[in-house]
Amino acid sequence: METGVQARQKPRHAVGTPADFPAGKMVMVRAGEQEIGVVRLRDGELRAMRNWCPHKGAPICRGLIGGTWPPSEPGKLDYDGTQEVLVCPWHGFEYDLKSGREMYETGTTRLRLYPVTVEDGQVYVTV
Amino acid sequence: MDMPVAAHPVPARSTDGVIDCDVHPLLPNGIRSLYPYMTEAWRERFIRKRAHTTESGLTLRYAQPNGTVVRDDAKPEASMPGGSDPHFLVKDLLDANGISVAVLNSLQSARFCSVHASVDESIVIASASNDYYIENWLTVDERLTYAPVVPSQDPAAAAAEIRRIGAHRQVVAVAVPPLAILMGNRYWWPIFEAAQEMDLPLLLHVSGSEGVYNGAPMPAGGMPDTYIERYVTLGQGAESNLNSLVMSGTFERFPRLRILFVEYGFVWPVPLMLRMDRLWRGLRHEVPWVKKSPTDYVAEHVWFTTQPIEEPRDPRDLERLVRMVGVDNLCFSTDYPHWDNDMPMQAFRLLPQEDRDRIMRINARNVLRLPR
Repeated sequence: METGVQARQKPRHAVGTPADFPAGKMVMVRAGEQEIGVVRLRDGELRAMRNWCPHKGAPICRGLIGGTWPPSEPGKLDYDGTQEVLVCPWHGFEYDLKSGREMYETGTTRLRLYPVTVEDGQVYVTV
Repeated sequence: MDMPVAAHPVPARSTDGVIDCDVHPLLPNGIRSLYPYMTEAWRERFIRKRAHTTESGLTLRYAQPNGTVVRDDAKPEASMPGGSDPHFLVKDLLDANGISVAVLNSLQSARFCSVHASVDESIVIASASNDYYIENWLTVDERLTYAPVVPSQDPAAAAAEIRRIGAHRQVVAVAVPPLAILMGNRYWWPIFEAAQEMDLPLLLHVSGSEGVYNGAPMPAGGMPDTYIERYVTLGQGAESNLNSLVMSGTFERFPRLRILFVEYGFVWPVPLMLRMDRLWRGLRHEVPWVKKSPTDYVAEHVWFTTQPIEEPRDPRDLERLVRMVGVDNLCFSTDYPHWDNDMPMQAFRLLPQEDRDRIMRINARNVLRLPR
């Protein structure tokens, strides 16, 4: 499965079956020593991430998942519910769950994503 | 009192000299100098109410502890206030300091626009003052340019005044006295529209009438006891207004608007810009019309005059601060003839020449749309 993340020669950890990961819900799993958040996107893809905000180290997987208000003209408010955004519970930085990148910021931070694969009814995260 | 213009040959404008973005002319006889520029009806009203008796600086909440803001050595004659004679100012400031363009900004007229309770009186005073300076100062020397004062208390009238005189060749900006209404508020839109239409930057300068006159803003936190306290914290109003302009989406709504913050110093934007950028990353969704980082808007739409230049103990720290504000966004100003002035020969000597050129002339040429 294409996850947008380059797989490296690292151990794979079985973290559950596909049914354990309903769309739009962050599920915390153990992968060796690491606590990993796994979420299924609306298109069925899975994302696995380190529970650590790249901005200030917050437990980012505790943040809310929702849409966002894209850039709009002054005084006009739009809402894009098709965007899947993770909002850090500390400082409110928004991350695009599809790419892991911080939204609307030309800058620097992105989520630490891990490759996810599904084989023989098992979900594996490579950490 | 003016000699014929022919007696003072007008030198060609040079763009090699320094551009001074803040010079304060004065009416030689106070509000009475404006009477010839009003209709009889308004003139008689001001005469009848003895308007000249209420114009004194003593009506300000903070009298300057040394008695005047004007340098004693900048008086054309012992009996005349500094800044009241254009010929003397040309010699004493422009010729003596290699200044090729000076922007005149009458704080006195801004104060007159605020001290009278009636908005109609403010409108009349602003127009009379602008006509006075255009006729009596701009004809004296090509190097003198002008930022007309507008009556902030009536944005529609202010916009009409901008359109009335904004096309004059030596009108290079618009002086907008601050009110207790933040600049991001839609109240100001008529002024922004007119300024954009005439391609003139808005010049924001503290009026000196905080907490006293018609609509003037209060200092943050309460009224200080002393002039020094009030002067140290002047930048508060500028911070609030810059923040408001950015977060309201004003620069999206008025994409050609240019703002010049004058005489607030230039270090205060540094922490403000850092905070705006940082908080925008977390709270952007509240103001989605702020489509890029606040600092990007500042870089594109906002300039700061350098006076009064802060003086860190280690002078090398000044260069870092200049970089943090943005070397392209600083414009030199003297504040002549006021006591707290900066003069070109002392300013920014530690900066590389290229940066000094930007601050002393290039940036101002851009923001004021001066010919090259």
